[in-house]
Amino acid sequence: MIGSANLSAWFPEWASTHAPDVDVPFFDIYVVSACALVVTVGLAVVFLRTYRRQDGDPDRMPAQGNNKLLLGVWVLAAVSLGVYAFQLGLAGYVAQDVAPYGATEIGVTAREGRWDFTYPDGTVTDTLRVEVGQPVHLTLTTADVAQNLSIPAMRVQQPILPGRTTEAWFETIAVGSFPIHSGTFSALTQDSLATAVISLSTADYDAWVAAVGDIFAGRTMAEVGELLYNQQGCKACHSLDGATVVGPSFKNVYGFEFLTTSGETITADDAYIKESILTPNVSVIDGFQPVMTPYAGKLDDREIEAIIEFLKTLSERGHAAGQEGK
Amino acid sequence: MENVTQPADNEALRRSFLGAPDGVAEWFQTTDHKRISLMFLGWTAGAFLLMMIMAIVPIMKTLGGPGMSTRLLLETLTYQRFLQVIAWLVPVLPGVLGFFLLPLQLGAANMAFPALSRCSLRFYVLGLVLMIGTLGTFPVGTGWTLDTQLSQLDPGAFGVLMFALFFLGLSWFLTGLNFIVTVHHGRREGMGFFDLPMTAWGFYLYGYLLVASGLVFAILVLYLAASWVTTDGMFGWLADPMLWRTYFWFALRPVVFFSLIPGVGIVSDVISGLARKPSTGYRTMVGSLIALTGIAVISYGASLFGQGLSPAGGLVFSFLSLLAVVPAALISFTWLSTLYRGSITCAAPANFSLAFILHAGLASLLGLFLASPVLGRYLGATMFVSAQLDYLVWGAGTAALLAGLHYWWPKMMGRSYNNDVARIGAVLYIFGLNLALIPRVLMGSKGVPQDLAGIVPGSLHLAEISSLGWLFVYCGLAVVAGNLLVTVWGKDAAERNPWGATTLEWTVPSPPPDDNFS
Ligand code: HEC
Repeated sequence: MIGSANLSAWFPEWASTHAPDVDVPFFDIYVVSACALVVTVGLAVVFLRTYRRQDGDPDRMPAQGNNKLLLGVWVLAAVSLGVYAFQLGLAGYVAQDVAPYGATEIGVTAREGRWDFTYPDGTVTDTLRVEVGQPVHLTLTTADVAQNLSIPAMRVQQPILPGRTTEAWFETIAVGSFPIHSGTFSALTQDSLATAVISLSTADYDAWVAAVGDIFAGRTMAEVGELLYNQQGCKACHSLDGATVVGPSFKNVYGFEFLTTSGETITADDAYIKESILTPNVSVIDGFQPVMTPYAGKLDDREIEAIIEFLKTLSERGHAAGQEGK
Repeated sequence: MENVTQPADNEALRRSFLGAPDGVAEWFQTTDHKRISLMFLGWTAGAFLLMMIMAIVPIMKTLGGPGMSTRLLLETLTYQRFLQVIAWLVPVLPGVLGFFLLPLQLGAANMAFPALSRCSLRFYVLGLVLMIGTLGTFPVGTGWTLDTQLSQLDPGAFGVLMFALFFLGLSWFLTGLNFIVTVHHGRREGMGFFDLPMTAWGFYLYGYLLVASGLVFAILVLYLAASWVTTDGMFGWLADPMLWRTYFWFALRPVVFFSLIPGVGIVSDVISGLARKPSTGYRTMVGSLIALTGIAVISYGASLFGQGLSPAGGLVFSFLSLLAVVPAALISFTWLSTLYRGSITCAAPANFSLAFILHAGLASLLGLFLASPVLGRYLGATMFVSAQLDYLVWGAGTAALLAGLHYWWPKMMGRSYNNDVARIGAVLYIFGLNLALIPRVLMGSKGVPQDLAGIVPGSLHLAEISSLGWLFVYCGLAVVAGNLLVTVWGKDAAERNPWGATTLEWTVPSPPPDDNFS
């Protein structure tokens, strides 16, 4: 370790346990290779000045060979520089690949202009929240173009590739907010809001987990419904804009009449929607396959109520009904 | 020193070389390697100038200039790199100095395939014009590495751009082929391979890389165009992006990063010419260049550090690319010992050779950081790599061209230039370039992503310093180019052999007569 002084000119602050693994080899190679450059270019400049052409010099100077001994030393020095650079960070390189046992598992999904971070309890956020001193293991996927998860303060750089799952891990040592870059050549991404790692003390982190655990805190029923729509996978099959994906769109469902495969006409009121969510395959809407997952046991009554409130906001006939429902 | 040509002969030669008694058609139809080289100089310089003008856009943005959309900036960055790498760094040394010098140094009247030289030039121009055409109409903004899914989404004239790249790749291929055959069959009676000047060696070996890379690249972009049209296939929407990335760097890493090879050849001749002394280690030098050519082909994965290379792959390619330290050490040592106890004419080519040594050295040392596995992963997708590429484009490649041009300009044009002005330009250029690029290296280690349109908070200062550097670079290059350009109309006739060099090109008048040696 030749010099660990003043790394701050070169690197962001040390916010994770990976930082020394990267910064120290960098600085060591920097010092050694700067010496190599100064010696080479310096000698060239000195020779250019010292051996200027003088009056009376012969037209051609005599031929002369390389000094074998010096050449040997020179090459040996270069080879050791190479070997030095190669082995220096090896331990850190291996360590970065193997996440420690017991790390918090967080799923990261990138798409143009947006990041989704999914925590073990199913919570999804657009900033990455971590607890100081607790390693996190990230599983990276992308929904569209290739991106790069770049968290300089954590010394994490990992490509995110379509059709592949890549991984990264880190453990923060400092509380604060640290930027995440996506490093992709997409105007949509570069224009959208930057995201960040928010590193919290254990107490703050626990408080945050408790707060997000109670999804009703600080939200209206319809907002909770929207959250559940995003979190519970409804959005994979139900659009909000009238487009039919796998199931019918949620636009204009509440209060409208539908024909079922058994031929009866039903009205999508509170009771029918509740039944459709808990046991969807009992009465199936005409023109669709009975493929919806039953949510009995996964959603409680209050959550279903929230979803119904959300559906009301999406329906022309939901507005009036919504008023009296509140 | 023999200086038999009368100035009067010289003037007649110059007139018949530069003038066009039969009109512009004579230049259009020519297969003379010297004229082809001058036309390559004109077109590549034009491409570089356009790139320089475009480069002002991101700099303006840094300085808080007029607002412009991110998309526009990304398009600018994309074309800037295409012009820098595909239309400048790779073709410029072979196109300008290669075509001019190769027959002269071998003692031949022309290239082995004169019509093919013309073809190289025409494909180059066609590709360049098509590329600029898409820039002016429906520009592409995928970044010059043409990542698979980004390509699929691009609304620009992507297919046309691929044809532009196809023709440019084809031009590399034909140039390389011509070089190889010329060296094999065009050598004067009795001249063996180990009598070739270093410049000829550099172009000969780079010829192999041009053939391989040019062909692979030309075919690849056709596949990419097909995938773009059908949204399917090898590089379609559902394809694994690593497939393209691997092919892309397999094709381009050798010619782009090892464009140093002809540069090393040129600078070796310039150094031993200026020092009036044969190189101290001819065979060492040749061996090193051959080794570099081999390493060029096998180390392509080094461009994939931090781009999705597997951990084990990272180690393998680190090792392979680090092999280059051995030839690099042999080359630098030979240069230094050639200068040692020489009788050195401290003229402009010396300054530009020094610039080459500095910039090529920096580019290689930045490569050393990237080849250290843990650092390669951290730095591989940051501004650090783009600073390294800038050191090759603006630094080493440009410095080698300028060293060669200032060394051979008297031969090419029959005119000498103002040495002091050239040296002032050189100093401005070297100072400015490092002021411009060192901040970018620092931005890289701070984790600023490679091709970012905006400014990452905290790096604004660095970006401002860098802009100041570019101002010096532009001034320096303007001085240098202006100084050379005025000699076209100047009256200052050059000597036949101003440096007292011993290679064959110096034995003919300046500029050389039509078929060189008759
Ligand atoms: C695997 C795809 C899938 C998922 C996930 C899914 N659904 Fe469905 N859903 C369907 C299909 C298909 C239908 C139409 C057939 C039927 O009635 O079972 C449907 C029908 C419905 C209906 C009746 C619509 C009408 O027009 O009457 C409601 C209400 C509904 N889903 C709510 C939900 C909610 C709430 C969620 C999330 C908690 C959800 N679905 C998740 C596929 C899905």
